[in-house]
Amino acid sequence: MIRTGKLATAGLTALAIALAVGVASAKDKVKVGFIGPLTGGVSVNGIGGRNSADLAVRLRNADAKAKYTYELVVLDDECKPNVAVQVATKMAADKDIIAAATHYCSSTAIATVDTYHKFGFPVIVWGAVLPDITYRNKYAEVHRVNGTMINQNDVNAELISKLGFKTVAVIHDTTDYGKGHNKYFSEALARIGKAKIVGTFGVTADQQDFAAELTKIKALNPDVIYFGGLTPIGVRIRSQMDKLGIKAVFDATSGIVSDAYIQGLGPLAEGTLAFREGAPTDKLPGGKFFMEKYNAQKYDNPPEAYGAFAFAAMSMILDSIEKVGPDRNKVIADLANVKNRPSIVGNITFDDHGQNTVAVITKYVVQDGKFTEWDESEYASGKRKLPGQK
Amino acid sequence: MDLGLFAQYVMNGLMLGMMYALVAVGFTLFFGVLDVIKFSHGDVLTVGAFTALATFAGLNVLGLKSQWFDLAIMLVLATLAMALLGMLIARYLVMPLRSAPPLNTLLITLMLGTVLRESVRLFYPQGANPKPFPALLPRSSIDLGEFNLRLDNVLMLAAGVAVIVGLQYLLNRTKLGLAIRAVAQDEETARTMGINFTAIVLVTFAIGSGLAAFAGVMDGLYYNEVNFGIGLYLGVVGFSAAIIGGLGSIYGAILGGFLFAGLQTVGTVMLPFASAYKDVFAFAVVIAIMAWRPTGLIREKISERV
Amino acid sequence: MATEEKARASLWPGLLALAVATAYLIALLAVEKQALIIALLAFGIVAVLAGAWLGMFGSISRSFADHEDALGLFTIVALLAVAAVFHEDHFVLLLVITALLYSVATLGLNIQFGYAGVLNFAGASFFGIGAYTSAVLNGYTAVPHLIVLLIGGLVAALIGSLLLLPVLRTRGHYAAVVTIAFALLFKTFLEVNDVLGGPQGMQVKGMKILGWSFNDNIEVGGVQLSFYMNYFVVSSLLLVGAFIVVRRLERSWIGLNLDALRLDETAASCFGLDIARWKITAFLIGNFLIGLAGALFGMVGSFVAPNNYTFADSLILVSIILLGGIGNPWGLIVATFIVVVVPEKLQTIQEYRFLLYALMVIAVLLFRPEGLLPRPVRRYFPGWRR
Repeated sequence: MIRTGKLATAGLTALAIALAVGVASAKDKVKVGFIGPLTGGVSVNGIGGRNSADLAVRLRNADAKAKYTYELVVLDDECKPNVAVQVATKMAADKDIIAAATHYCSSTAIATVDTYHKFGFPVIVWGAVLPDITYRNKYAEVHRVNGTMINQNDVNAELISKLGFKTVAVIHDTTDYGKGHNKYFSEALARIGKAKIVGTFGVTADQQDFAAELTKIKALNPDVIYFGGLTPIGVRIRSQMDKLGIKAVFDATSGIVSDAYIQGLGPLAEGTLAFREGAPTDKLPGGKFFMEKYNAQKYDNPPEAYGAFAFAAMSMILDSIEKVGPDRNKVIADLANVKNRPSIVGNITFDDHGQNTVAVITKYVVQDGKFTEWDESEYASGKRKLPGQK
Repeated sequence: MDLGLFAQYVMNGLMLGMMYALVAVGFTLFFGVLDVIKFSHGDVLTVGAFTALATFAGLNVLGLKSQWFDLAIMLVLATLAMALLGMLIARYLVMPLRSAPPLNTLLITLMLGTVLRESVRLFYPQGANPKPFPALLPRSSIDLGEFNLRLDNVLMLAAGVAVIVGLQYLLNRTKLGLAIRAVAQDEETARTMGINFTAIVLVTFAIGSGLAAFAGVMDGLYYNEVNFGIGLYLGVVGFSAAIIGGLGSIYGAILGGFLFAGLQTVGTVMLPFASAYKDVFAFAVVIAIMAWRPTGLIREKISERV
Repeated sequence: MATEEKARASLWPGLLALAVATAYLIALLAVEKQALIIALLAFGIVAVLAGAWLGMFGSISRSFADHEDALGLFTIVALLAVAAVFHEDHFVLLLVITALLYSVATLGLNIQFGYAGVLNFAGASFFGIGAYTSAVLNGYTAVPHLIVLLIGGLVAALIGSLLLLPVLRTRGHYAAVVTIAFALLFKTFLEVNDVLGGPQGMQVKGMKILGWSFNDNIEVGGVQLSFYMNYFVVSSLLLVGAFIVVRRLERSWIGLNLDALRLDETAASCFGLDIARWKITAFLIGNFLIGLAGALFGMVGSFVAPNNYTFADSLILVSIILLGGIGNPWGLIVATFIVVVVPEKLQTIQEYRFLLYALMVIAVLLFRPEGLLPRPVRRYFPGWRR
């Protein structure tokens, strides 16, 4: 009896509020999209990105001066190219969705550029680093706020050469992402000329057993093992390296900069090198603001390495829609003229291929279970030494 | 290739072979007793590994952190749980379909495998991500030149051998084993002799599934990781290994398991482009063997009533 | 007793069922709100159960059996109706095209499984062979695209013939392992092979017939049509063609031989049937159809990657055949539409769809092994009924 009474009251109250809100928000609804890997081995990055994009939409909806109310449509690309093409087609085919912030995995981003172009759907990439995504074709629909892997690998090669290591074995995954890393790192290392590559091994992105490759590498006895790939196999390779007794430096890329890497390895993660474009989140121009608002929302997961970029991408989309209205073609035209637009990751300028330049590259080393900046670490000062470092 | 490197390859092959053999033995047991291929065997392995993982998490919460104790509890719990699961599968899914065409049993177990795998992926917290498995075995190792002999590998191999020897003992020297072999040979006569058919079938499934749990824990310890897909691959490989060795023969299954691992290792060594093609190579050989000897290397005696 | 020409069943039950099914499909495709979709699905299940209880399915199947050609024509009309309603909606058309092409593939699989009893757990792999063929030929050669479709089918049949020897010599579960091993081998091979794009896959150029590009939107007298309409027309033609071929095959002497082969191999060989010849025929024709559908699907999706053609996808094709009723082409089409459309619409279960398929198939196998629309006993003379 009492239950139905309470239920009725609650229902009526909710109805009243809904009506009030409904009447008050007479703004038009606009849909924007987000695509990222929400399941699978790199899901923490995808979820972090989604939360950040969601944060951007929420802040905008809470802003009374905004012209429209925004609804975020989220799709999962599972870090698989074929799934990505399917969800990209689905999102782009839906005429109600105006624009989207897309993709953390490079393999998915490069597979979908043609789809977005086919449907005339403007997107801003927030986490994928393969240069080809913006540079292979000149598609007006595709833009990117984060940097490409070229600079990352330049800095990587520099550090390795500077530390005096002479031989490097390369393991990379066979998606375009891993292949890209392999290409740019090898070129950079060759240019500096102090270290040489003694072997290159391609592995599949979901490979379980690396005994074969690592046994061959053990025979080659390199100082450094360079890894171009993502966290799940990064964890496996580092752990199996230890099992085979290989004592080389594990030198990786932005693909493993994630809490999942440290959780997966525990103490074995110590001494891993990694590199990423962009300053660490709290050192970004809008970093403090972003972290404050993010923590206030109490999401289950941290924004991870690229959350700030997802926020910036989504904010840019929202700004654009506010300026020119919910029309895909107008948004594309607007995004063609982005020069020094302020954002939490700094001023964004898109070149003629829609690519933003991110100058800063952060060098990381895992110290005591955290990704610490190299220059501030005990490895740089000499208190601790990487395996084989003189 | 120098001796140390060769020894390393041999060790890798032996570890893989042991796991494949354990799975293959399970397949062969089920086939022998009920003439069924239980395709969900590999996924039972996955569930076993995750049960062990969950047990470990539970033990951690309770504050019990001793290595050997944890490992023992995990093994026992996982094995018992999987034995129970195996019995349920036998009782409710396989036995009711004995009068149906064998294709149906094959299909139902394939689908059951999918159900198990997807359940782990969807219902275990963050099941879609690979999950680190605790390293509960001692991590010391000896360096013999190029070859790094690890204590935990040796322990696992020894444990695997012990389990297989124990199984052989069970089958060949105990009354239970006698009953199992009788049922495998001729169901009707065994029943006439007073053997409780249903009980024996359930026990066999329990044993086989318990083996799967053991293999699952071994797999977790070897790779320090479990994910929801390990069972699918191991299941197919184990099945192929059992087929190669000839279904219904325990020795054949063990032989098949090590043969398959050997094939993969040889493929890795011989083919210049590393291990990329090793699976392709191994499966191609399986197809070729099927073409050459349709009932496996150890011939199965089929008789058919016309 | 002479075979009297019994009165043919009425056309109306079948026509009515077709009309209701089409209306239901259109409603399901059009509705967006999750709550409405769930209501619609619940209504559908209740209606089907009620129909079964009232014995309506008996009269519907008789009607289909006697008036198949007429009802076939009406089905084409129904397809056109669906297209007309959704002429602008890209995604719905894509969904329908997927269902149509999967139907063609399952028809091919049905020839192998349902008629000849040849196990094929690598259906998705042959689908993939067709798709990759169209990717390679469209990208690197100037072969006319309709011929590319045929070549896709031929290549699938050709590669399938590599498996002939093991398939012929093995029985039962050994035969299963051959195709399962091939399914895994195929995916791994594609992943490690850079020539065919590796795990990144390849883009496929859209279809172009006589200069008419299939990837541009069409405008007919002020009405905007999605570019998927082009593919829709070709897919429908393909399905109609495949269906007619399969039906004629079933009723012909070839079908008779295949049925005999499936039901009892030993008895069939005693009667002088060449087992090997008929198994080869079924296997090759089936793979040809699957490859044909795959080639077109590659062009529709404009993307091929190894991950599209895994063992799990082959299992989905097999589960469609089981759900729809082994050997019954109409049942296959219904089952395909259910399997393709429902998870897409019911977003909440998208993640759970593999789990749900598997559970449904288990339920079907335990309680109704013949499938939803089981295949009736073979009819030898027109008008002859069980």
